[in-house]
Amino acid sequence: MKHQTAKKMVLYSVIGTMVAMVLMGATVIFPHPLVLVIAMSVGQGIALLSLALYLLAVALDLQSQGGSYIPYEEPAVAEEPAPAEPTPPEGGAPPAA
Amino acid sequence: MPAIHTTEQLLQVIALSCAVLSILIGAWYIIRRPHLNQLTKSMLLLGLGVFPLIVSLTGNIASFEYTLTRPFCGSCHVMGPYLRDAEDPKSNSLAALHSRNHKFGENSCYSCHADYQMFGAITTKQNGMKHLFKYITEYVGTGPDGEGGPTIHLYKPFKSEACMQCHSTTAKRYVEQHADSLADIRSGEARCIDCHDEVHPLALARRPGARKEAAK
Repeated sequence: MKHQTAKKMVLYSVIGTMVAMVLMGATVIFPHPLVLVIAMSVGQGIALLSLALYLLAVALDLQSQGGSYIPYEEPAVAEEPAPAEPTPPEGGAPPAA
Repeated sequence: MPAIHTTEQLLQVIALSCAVLSILIGAWYIIRRPHLNQLTKSMLLLGLGVFPLIVSLTGNIASFEYTLTRPFCGSCHVMGPYLRDAEDPKSNSLAALHSRNHKFGENSCYSCHADYQMFGAITTKQNGMKHLFKYITEYVGTGPDGEGGPTIHLYKPFKSEACMQCHSTTAKRYVEQHADSLADIRSGEARCIDCHDEVHPLALARRPGARKEAAK
């Protein structure tokens, strides 16, 4: 469950970063004042949030791996069951010595 | 590929390259949807952390450098007449004369209009944000050169300190030529532009009464 959540968060952070990179790249190519202000405020904000989301996703993923960790144990050697002793019949005579 | 001549261009190339790399890593993750193993996490750390950080740093510096240039100031249409006058090789206005001076060059607007103080760059850029707000709220629907919009004026009176960065009031020739008003100029009672008022004549002349108002 947690792993799936982490994957979703990573996907959102990747999309966010791509949007931010397009905005910031556009500033370099078209340095209009309005584009510049949007890219350098909104763009950087989105990039920062995306990075925080990614780090959170990694932390969640590591946590979920830690929760389901089962240490390796040597498998127990299966012993042959001891033959069952015959039970004396009720009310019967004890077996002869 | 165009050659790189300035630091600003180098920073722009670095910023663009890192942005493209970051987008490629993002596209790779979206298309392939790999398992979140150590390799994927390392790749994503580059694409979502390291490259965007480089883009942010270099992009900020390159953008800041670009905001100092005359084409940037002239990119709002209301600045058209000021830009044309400054770039006119035949104009004798102070703006044009200073723009032709290689010491000012492309940064002639910023050199004269930036605040001359310790945090001058910051306060100047704060005013730039104010310009942008005013432009969006008051000048967007105006004519080709801002016709129909409010008169453009400075937020505060132009100080002579900007002129005195280069024009020393103690130089022999300056003292000889300004003997009558030297004390007033040095004390700030008289300003350079009170007499040398041909700063942006073509730009200001198109609005009746604007020239006097702008000089205040």
